[in-house]
Amino acid sequence: VRQFFISFARTVLALGAVLVLGGANAADAPKQPIRFGLTAAVARENLDLYERWAAYLGRKVGRPVQFVQRRTYREAMEMLETGEHDFSWICSAPYAKYRDSNIFGLMAVPVFDGKPLYQSYIVVQKDRSFRTIGDLEGRVFAYSDPDSNTGYIVPRQMLSDLGRNPDSFFRQTFFTYSHSETIEAVSQRVADGAAVDSYVWEYLNRRQPRFTANTKVIQRSETFGFPPLVYRTGIDPELRARMTAALLTMDKDPEGHALLAELMLDRFITAPSGLYDNVRLNPDRR
Amino acid sequence: MRFLSSLSLAFKLSVVLSLVVAGVAAGIGGAMVNQDRHRLREELRGKAFLLARSLAVTAPEPLLRGDSWTLYKTLREITRGSARARDTTLVTAMILDSKGRVLAHIYPALFPIGLPLLSDNSTERPHLQAELRMRDPAVFDGQDFIEGAAPIQSSGKNLGLARVQLSTLELDKNTADASVSVLLLSMSIALAGIILGSIWSIRTLRPLRTLAQSMEELARGIVHPLPVSRGDEIGQLIASFNRMTNELEEKRKLAGELAANEKVIALGRIAAGVAHEVNNPLAGMLNCLSTLRAKSNDPELVARYLPMIEMGLKKIEALVKDLLIELRVEDAREVADSSCLEDVRDLVAAEIDPARIEIAWDNLLKPGDSMNRPRVQQILLNLLRNSIQAMPTGGRLSCRFWSDEDNLILEIEDTGHGIPPENVGRIFDPFFTSRPTGTGLGLWIVLRLVQSMQGNIDVNSVPGQGTQFRIQIPREPNLATLAV
Repeated sequence: VRQFFISFARTVLALGAVLVLGGANAADAPKQPIRFGLTAAVARENLDLYERWAAYLGRKVGRPVQFVQRRTYREAMEMLETGEHDFSWICSAPYAKYRDSNIFGLMAVPVFDGKPLYQSYIVVQKDRSFRTIGDLEGRVFAYSDPDSNTGYIVPRQMLSDLGRNPDSFFRQTFFTYSHSETIEAVSQRVADGAAVDSYVWEYLNRRQPRFTANTKVIQRSETFGFPPLVYRTGIDPELRARMTAALLTMDKDPEGHALLAELMLDRFITAPSGLYDNVRLNPDRR
Repeated sequence: MRFLSSLSLAFKLSVVLSLVVAGVAAGIGGAMVNQDRHRLREELRGKAFLLARSLAVTAPEPLLRGDSWTLYKTLREITRGSARARDTTLVTAMILDSKGRVLAHIYPALFPIGLPLLSDNSTERPHLQAELRMRDPAVFDGQDFIEGAAPIQSSGKNLGLARVQLSTLELDKNTADASVSVLLLSMSIALAGIILGSIWSIRTLRPLRTLAQSMEELARGIVHPLPVSRGDEIGQLIASFNRMTNELEEKRKLAGELAANEKVIALGRIAAGVAHEVNNPLAGMLNCLSTLRAKSNDPELVARYLPMIEMGLKKIEALVKDLLIELRVEDAREVADSSCLEDVRDLVAAEIDPARIEIAWDNLLKPGDSMNRPRVQQILLNLLRNSIQAMPTGGRLSCRFWSDEDNLILEIEDTGHGIPPENVGRIFDPFFTSRPTGTGLGLWIVLRLVQSMQGNIDVNSVPGQGTQFRIQIPREPNLATLAV
């Protein structure tokens, strides 16, 4: 009886919600959802959080928002280029690489631990004695994505700076296409070492410490501009303005503030100039 | 064997039957356990084969891409299900390249990516080399595990090898457990069978024991029919037994009646003998009396006939006296020790002329040798008188009495005229006598008294030299109680 009552109440609420929303947006243009691309740059462990964030943004911009997870950065870039996605949260490396290509425009940058910055962590299994990436010669190393700044370009640059050839330094390397899976690969010792996004490692370390419990950070890179949120160049300017405003004002709104806290971000800001200047493109192969 | 044969039939039967049943149970159980083990092993082989093959099927693409992480995840996902399965324990699973180097292993810390699985001098190397050359999936039996191996192929070329090992320890343990269960169950069956079987057999065979008891009682003369409460073979046996006891009882009654009849016949014969013996002198005496009555004043006749009448009467008197003695002594019972025989000696000594007949008396009986006084005295008296009468011209009478464990023995020997061989068989017949004044009852009485005490008489006689009688009388064990 109780079960029935609950499901009945839910049905009534759902019908009510449909009627209210339908009435409010009846005059608006197509109900087609806005597709928002996500990549390995964010922790994907909490799908429920992204659904609630999508619903929040949907209410703010007046159209449903749908987050779409893409496996690789390249895929995400192509989706922007073809117009499949209107917005995307991409990595700093593709941003730096394609920012002059007129495919997208910078919309907002997350502030993490007080700064719009992040860095690359070199992680190894907790009980191993490696102290820097230079100790991992002849070992197995996990990258996240060939277009990743912290998960690919930065560790290779570190080796180049050490005067080593990153292509032959490790016995074997592989891509996991996810920072959290990179951490898992190290944790289970499929890889002896890996380079991960500091935001993802810290997020997991604080929110779901079992993922990082078996790993430790042995080296931290210089800091870079945090992976930015971009819009597709051809998008309706009004929609772009509404989405930008929704993001930039999230911390002013209790609900938005709570979501930011869950995302472990302080707020979204407009990117200061020169934020991504130190992001390198792929180091030249020798 | 003696011990075995002395055990109760009920116990032996149930033990043997229970052991047979338990043996059959153990045999069948063992066969089933073995079959089950075989089936489970086949299942495990099938599982190892399938796992290796499904790994090999999914592996080529990530393998060609060099995507170790995907290979590892696939390995983990595919084998995780089997590791959770009821009686399967995953030992190991791996994907190797065509040179035998590790591309993915479920124990990455122990078998790192990019290194050879085995060292150059490993004993497993030939087996691995053979597997790397295989064109088709196969299953191998290893120590404590079953190995499924499948080549990873693309365009007909071997790219590498998927290899899965599943533990048979669980299976072997289950088999061992099942065997123990079967064994315990069989032993329980045997034990329960022995207990229940014994109880049942004892109940079944109880009538047989009652029957055996009754038979023993029957031998001692106690007869009572057994209740027949069952229709099986034992029931039939009891019925037969009852029929047999009935017949025995009837036979015994018949024998009793016959004996009574014989007694009557013997009594008749005695009566006839008495009549005959009395009639002979009686006829002579009546004859004398009628002659005397006719010539009553003939003094010569009186002087001649009166002694004749007296002799006839004396003969009748002796006859009656002996018969009375016989009747009196036959039922007499009085316990005395061996000194009572001395009275007989005194009695006989008074009747003879010591100058003519010499008596040698040798009583070796012990004070504890008690006897039925009236009978034994009568036997001795009659024998002594008989011997004295056999020595009309004098002689020597030797008496020896002694005892052994079971008997009292009286031996009387004379030096008289002896018994002619043709008469030896008749001397104990009633009214048989070789003397004109004898009644012929003396030795007959001896015989009857000895027989009444279950004894026997030996006669040894040489005509002209003498006769020896030897009487053997068994000790009566309950004679002492009669004395009370």
